[in-house]
Amino acid sequence: MSGSRLLALPARVGASLLSLADQVGGMTLLLSQALKRLVPPRVDRYELVRNLHRMGVQSVPIVMATAAFTGAIMVIQAAPLVERFNAREFVGWGASFVTFREVGPLLIALMFNGRVGANNAAELGTMVVTEQVDGLRALAIDPIGYLVMPRIIAMVVMIFMLTILGDGVALIGSIITGDLLLDVDPRTFLASAIPMLGPWDVIAGLIKSAIFGLMIAVTSCYFGLATRGGAPGVGRSVNASVVAAATGIFVADYLSTFVLG
Amino acid sequence: MPIVFENIHKAFGDKVILDGVDFTIEDGECFFIVGASGAGKSVMIKHLIGLLRPDQGEIYLDGEEVSRLSEHALYPVRKKCAMVFQNATLFDSMTCAENVALPLRKHTGRSQRESLVAARERLAQVHMEDFADSYPAELGDGMKKRVAIARALTLDPRYVLFDEPTTSLDPVSARRTDAVIRTLADELGVTCVVVSHDLVSIFSIADRIAMLYKGHLRMLGTPTEFQNTSDPIVRQFMRGEAEGPMEV
Repeated sequence: MSGSRLLALPARVGASLLSLADQVGGMTLLLSQALKRLVPPRVDRYELVRNLHRMGVQSVPIVMATAAFTGAIMVIQAAPLVERFNAREFVGWGASFVTFREVGPLLIALMFNGRVGANNAAELGTMVVTEQVDGLRALAIDPIGYLVMPRIIAMVVMIFMLTILGDGVALIGSIITGDLLLDVDPRTFLASAIPMLGPWDVIAGLIKSAIFGLMIAVTSCYFGLATRGGAPGVGRSVNASVVAAATGIFVADYLSTFVLG
Repeated sequence: MPIVFENIHKAFGDKVILDGVDFTIEDGECFFIVGASGAGKSVMIKHLIGLLRPDQGEIYLDGEEVSRLSEHALYPVRKKCAMVFQNATLFDSMTCAENVALPLRKHTGRSQRESLVAARERLAQVHMEDFADSYPAELGDGMKKRVAIARALTLDPRYVLFDEPTTSLDPVSARRTDAVIRTLADELGVTCVVVSHDLVSIFSIADRIAMLYKGHLRMLGTPTEFQNTSDPIVRQFMRGEAEGPMEV
């Protein structure tokens, strides 16, 4: 084996690590620049309202569908064990606990990433390659305050709100499926869920969802604004944004599960 | 001297675009920067408002050196020195009126409603009032350019930079755009810096012309001087001849 071949693998690994460091550094820098615009607030409120609507309100149907099926799947997966151990009185608690703390925030974040994060990276990327971002700068308008901050705020706020909605819908999905599949009365379901669930079970899930929202927002804004190379570049940015945010969501989930208990 | 470029150097990687360019633009004139594609014309004007930074050299606007200013410190410069981009760069998510209203809302303290009213007046000045509620995607190139000009003029700038304003326009729209630029200089005293290789525009509205070639200023003069030059490269460019010494 020649020397150049021997060096090819470490060179590629090194290049990947450098690229990763560059991206993480870029995202950190973007977040710090965005945070500087919070005091005093330099956020365009029209853009904020527009983004709250299109990122949040327009995501309601897909989140409701995801949440309803998530709740139902929790019960379906639990059904064999519930039947085997005759543990109908634990169905409500089990399904709610897993949905609120873990599966609900995680699946809603992944759906949000696919819908809103990808759209955001594509929109910003297109604005970069068509010089619209330079157009903003030429109008003496700060692209971070005008484009990035409203999107970060909108994504964090709306994923938080959507997770609250999703938790409720998932609970309804679980109750209906439990009733139909396991013959668990809705009152029995709730009687098992409510006393055994603590507020922290819901709050921990919501904190996670806000972290996921921040991750999606920063990642999609970073990759969108870093777009180079016309339409293929926009495609690459969207792809990189979705993959990086999904990876980040799982890493953040792992770490936050330790921290939040 | 309102605009002074001194010894401007700019390279992208190994490719040298500007290699020591100097010239001065007088107040209220219609100044054209011409040259073949890739000669660095657009790069030159983007330096003036800090969209690009020179590798070396200085740029003065109203006596202030602007090439080393921070992004934030450039905002006052950009308010008095507007730019109309080659591709109009209207914001796709906004209507034409919202596009024109944006700088008003951001910089003049007017409400969105007041800004929209003023934007419609600006659009009327470029005969685009009927398209105030249209989105950029619904417009032709000439219409987009006119909206972009209206947006650039909303803050009453003293300087307007036009990057190939007549490219991709039909001849009638191109001559109307020329007329708008000439009117700005003649009636409002706005200094217009136009990047172009549209020979009709150059010879009909330019006060002075700077030609860039291979990173250097090849010639600076009036349209008449350009027409009568003995420089074979300038003559070939100005006559639009395919054969000659010019390397593109």
